[in-house]
Order: sequence, then structure tokens, then C-alpha cells
Amino acid sequence: MELGSQNVGENLGVLEKKSIAILREARAQFRNPAALWSTGKDSTTTLWLCRKAFFGKIPFPVIHIDTGCKFPEIYEFRDRIAKEWGFDLIVAKNEEAMRRGVSPEKDRFECCTELKTQALKDLVEKKEFDALILAIRRDEHGIRAKERYYSPRDREFKWNYKDQPAEIWDLYVKPSECSHTRVHPILHWTELDVWLYVRREGLPTNPLYFSKDGKRYRSLGCVPCTVPVPSDAKTIDEIVEELEISKTPERAGRAQDKEKAYMMQKLRSLGYM
Amino acid sequence: MDLPKIGLVLIGHKDHGKSTLAGRLLFDSGAIPEQKLKEVEAELKIAGDESFRYAFFLDMFEEERRNGLTIDVMQMPFRSKRYLYTIIDCPGHREFIKKMSTGASQADAAVLVVSAKEGIQEQTRQHAILAKTLGIRQLVVAINKMDLVGYAEEMFLEICNKLRTILGSIGYDDPPIVPVSALDGENVVRKSEKMRWHKGLSLIETLDENIVPSALPTGKALRACVQDTYRIGEKEVIVCKILTGALKAGDLVYYDPPGRRGTVVKIEGFENEAAGPGDSIGIVMDMDVGAARGQVISHPENRARVPRSLTAEVVIFSDKELKTGDTIRIRCGTAEANCTVQKLLEKIDPINLIASADPPSSLKNGDVGKLVLSPIEPICIEEYSEFPELGRFIIEDRIGTAAAGIVLRVETKKMR
Repeated sequence: MELGSQNVGENLGVLEKKSIAILREARAQFRNPAALWSTGKDSTTTLWLCRKAFFGKIPFPVIHIDTGCKFPEIYEFRDRIAKEWGFDLIVAKNEEAMRRGVSPEKDRFECCTELKTQALKDLVEKKEFDALILAIRRDEHGIRAKERYYSPRDREFKWNYKDQPAEIWDLYVKPSECSHTRVHPILHWTELDVWLYVRREGLPTNPLYFSKDGKRYRSLGCVPCTVPVPSDAKTIDEIVEELEISKTPERAGRAQDKEKAYMMQKLRSLGYM
Repeated sequence: MDLPKIGLVLIGHKDHGKSTLAGRLLFDSGAIPEQKLKEVEAELKIAGDESFRYAFFLDMFEEERRNGLTIDVMQMPFRSKRYLYTIIDCPGHREFIKKMSTGASQADAAVLVVSAKEGIQEQTRQHAILAKTLGIRQLVVAINKMDLVGYAEEMFLEICNKLRTILGSIGYDDPPIVPVSALDGENVVRKSEKMRWHKGLSLIETLDENIVPSALPTGKALRACVQDTYRIGEKEVIVCKILTGALKAGDLVYYDPPGRRGTVVKIEGFENEAAGPGDSIGIVMDMDVGAARGQVISHPENRARVPRSLTAEVVIFSDKELKTGDTIRIRCGTAEANCTVQKLLEKIDPINLIASADPPSSLKNGDVGKLVLSPIEPICIEEYSEFPELGRFIIEDRIGTAAAGIVLRVETKKMR
């Protein structure tokens, strides 16, 4: 383990440096960026990287999209960390759709689009954000594996995945003529990388990730559409061990990934994360 | 368990089997989860063509699966005995040069996939020269679809001979060439019983044996590009990325252009004594040096150069033609500058990959050529052979990245 962990440190160091450089590029190039935070391990890691990149203080707002049906642990974690880390938290809600009674029982696709994508779209328009920092990773989902570090969304908020811009070496170009740009600073990390980093940095972790009654959440979403996976991992060490042998995909417990083929593609083409 | 990482781009003509080979590499190395297998089974029934099985692991868009055609770059990891590879699967279609270049620019090594049945085609040559121009030094060739030529050695040798000449002429001398059938899994991960005449290794063994990870540059002079400046309390912190060399507190450094100098007082929140290649750091200076994004930091004994003109090799992937006299905007490191296209020197012939005898009148989408640029605004830029990250640049247009280039030579001003 001694020799192994040394190498792991090196790998994490390389990942971290690249992400920090991307965050600083984004801050230098965009007028009004914001970060998205689900309170999950990836976006919490990204906020931590922001704190490192900007010497302790996150210099832009942090957005949490609230569908009204998140786990209680998510709200508790959100409010505690926002206070401890002292950033400007904006909670985005599509209250109009909530009043209309949009729900996954009726239509899952509509629910994700209305309560998440539309809520974000309204906020981006109101606050005139020109960049959104998102913690998606290539290894999470095949559709996300097709992404760029800088990924423009058009005037209608859509992702033109058929004609994505060139992105050469580490020369990230701010796209013109778009509603905003998605910036993906941890696109190159894997799920295991994130947990190794969470362990190394001692980052706060939502309790839902740890096993209770033989099950744990591997990816956090809304209560009706997220199920836990069988697992006995009660600590980060045990999660790392589990991931090294696991054959189950990370988002196996997330309904929007498998409901219908191409649901993720369609959601994302409309501006979903 | 933490293996060195290799970015591996698959290049070559459309329908020569890049995605199928990528899928086979992933599948045979156990990188495809069961749920994905089931999803692909269902998709194969809709497509009604079993031969797409392996390509469907990477072609995730509905349109890609319906048309059997990769539209955009895909990256997926798999493990071998020696490395953690990231497969970068690119579209082969000629209209998708900017996407192929996007994928290739992220890679340490390339696998050129050539169909044994169709042999060398337009994008076989074009992708090879693009990979070379984008700085990929390591190349392995896979002659695919050996099943379609009855696993015949003659067919393999015939293509090998032609390929060696072409690849040799652009600087890929004697690359390893492996016969495979991605569809049948012959000689990709496991050795083939059907090609006993092939005494060499399987494709994955060949890669493990021949490819080395790109190492961080050592023993070079300091070059760091300034990303931004932050005001933190009373202090100005200059954030920069170190490309080569080392930087430590107490160093006297220049900021070019315009070239003011000062002493580094402190590296913020940094534990090691000296910062090195790859580090993204924040530094505090002893005085106001007028630091700004786009400048390059270097030591007095080997200062960053601000050239009067430069000769470069470029790959064009925009519809706008490039002509002598054009004003273009280039980006190198964190710097941007307008340049004049002083002269077009040559264009690589896409058939035999030899430079044209006469200077071309323009360079257009898909072309590789040499040109001379003269910066209108001062910018630090170096020769690729010496400082790779400051010796490569992109040309921007209204839409985004329009071309990529490598600097072969720089001419420096006589007076700074």
C-alpha cells in the first residue's frame, strides 16, 4: 500500500493541477461565472478545487437547483457547508412548475426538464451568467464522455452535440454567440479519483453515500428517482475498495439514465447537466 | 493498481473499424459493465446488424447508432497489464477533421486503423499527417478486417509495404504494424490462431511494449504563462502555470512582453521549495511588474522570446481559406495576438504526403501546410522542439478554433 499510495498521490496531484488551471482560465475569460452544486461528491470536490484555485474564497455564486424533492440529508449538508465555506449560495426553483404539480409519476422526462433544466435556464437568464461550472465526468455516462471542457449552449439553452467546437490541447476558447458556456473542470476524473481525493483532502461527505442496512447511494438525485445500491461500505476506505472491484455502473440507481434509451442524450440536448 | 496513464487516439479512414476496434479493446479487457452489454443487445436488435456490437460501446448517440457512423469524439478508459489507457475514438469522415484533431490533440500515441480489404484511403493518409502535425510522436498501425481477406499474409504484407513508405516520408519511421480482426477479436488482446504466420505480439501487447507515457519535461529553462492576477487583501497574487523549468522564492524573473523584471517574494500556499512543470501557482513579487494575462515568466539567463516572425506548420479545420496578407488571431499559452500571414510556403499533397513544389495560393479545410507569420502585437512564442507548450498555437476565428499549428522556427527582433 505504501508504494501504491505514493503513486496515487501523484495521479491526484496531476488531476488537481489541471482542474485548477481550467478554473483559473474560466475566471479570466468569462465575465460572470457561477458554479453548480448538487451537494454530491463531485460538485463538492469542484467547490473545494475552486477554494484552492482562488485562495480560500469562491469568488462567484454557487447555485443549487432545488426540485423540492431532494433528500433531507441534502438540504442539511447544503446549508451546513455553505455556512462553513462562506460562499454566496443561490437556490434555484421552478415554483411555477411545482405549483402545476409536475412530478416523475406523470412524466419523468418532463419532470427533469421542468424542475432542473428550466429552473436553471430561468436563473441564468435573470442573473446573466455567461459560464456555469459543472462537475460532470466522462466516465459517469456515455453521453457525458462526448463533452468538451468548454461546452457552449445556444440561445435556446440547447447543446448542439452534432457540431461541437474544436478543443485543441489545453487552449480553451471562450465561444461566441451562445447563451452561456458550460465549464467542466473535472471532466477527466473518474469516480475512483474523486473518492481518493475526498479521502486525501478530508472533504465533508453527505451521509447518504455510506451503507445503511446493506445499501448506499452511489449517486445523489431526487428521492422518487434515486435508489440505493447494495453495499456494505460504511467508510471512504471501504468505498474505494468496493469501486476497485465493482462491475456496476455509478449511476445504476439513477432513473433518468436508463428509463428509455437516449433519455440522457435528449435531456442533455435541451440543457440538462 | 495505479498504472501510468496513456491517451490513445484511434485514427483512420471511415468504416475501417476504429470504433469496433476500440469497443473490442474495451470488451476484451473487461472494461464494459454488464448493464451496458444488455443495453447494446437491445440496440443491436433495432439496428438489425450484429457487426455493430463493439462500435455501439462507444457510439452513444442515437444518430450514431442509426447510421453506423461516429459523429463526435468519445473517451473511455481500460486497463492493460502495464497502463491505464484512455481510448479516444474519433470520427473518420472527412467533414469531421476538427473533431479528429480535438481527439488527437489529447493523445500520447495513435493507432492508425487500416482496412485490409480497402487498403490505404484518403483519411488514412490525412489522419497520419494530422497526427504528426499535432505532435503525436508514437504510432502503431493496426491492419483491421483481416477476416475479410481470409487472414491472408500476402494482403497484410502488401499494405505494410505501401504504408511504410508513406509513413516514413512524414517521419513515422518503421512503426509496429499488427494484423487484427476487431470484429472476431483476433490478435487484438489475445493472440490469433488464424494468423500463425504473424510471429509478433497482439495489438495490446504491442502497445504495452512500444508506447511510453509522456514525461514531464526536465532540465529545461523556466517558462510560465500568466493566467490572471488576483488582489487578496493588500497583496497582488499573480497566478501562472509552469510549463518548463523551476521557479522558487528569491528568483529574479522577467515578464515578457514587455519585459519588466522583479524578484519572487513568495509562492502562495505552496509546500515544496520549487514549483515545477505542470504546477499552477500564485506568486507574490517584490514590486509592481505590471503582470498581466498572456505574459511569459522566465529567468534572465534564458529569456522567453518575442519573435518578429515565425515559421509554422498548420492544420486547417475551418471553412475559411487562409491566404497571404490575411490578418489572423492566434492563441499560444494564455496569450493572444493578431498576426499577418506573410507567406504561404508549401502545402502537403494529400495523396503522396509530399510537400508541393510551388507555394500554394491558399490553405483550406483539411489542408496541412507551412507558412510564415509575423505578429502585429508582441507575443512570446517559442520553437516546438524546445518548448512544446509555447511552440504550439491555435488560430481563432469568429466561431472558435479554426486551425492548429506547431512552430518550426522563430526569428527574434534584434532589439528588444
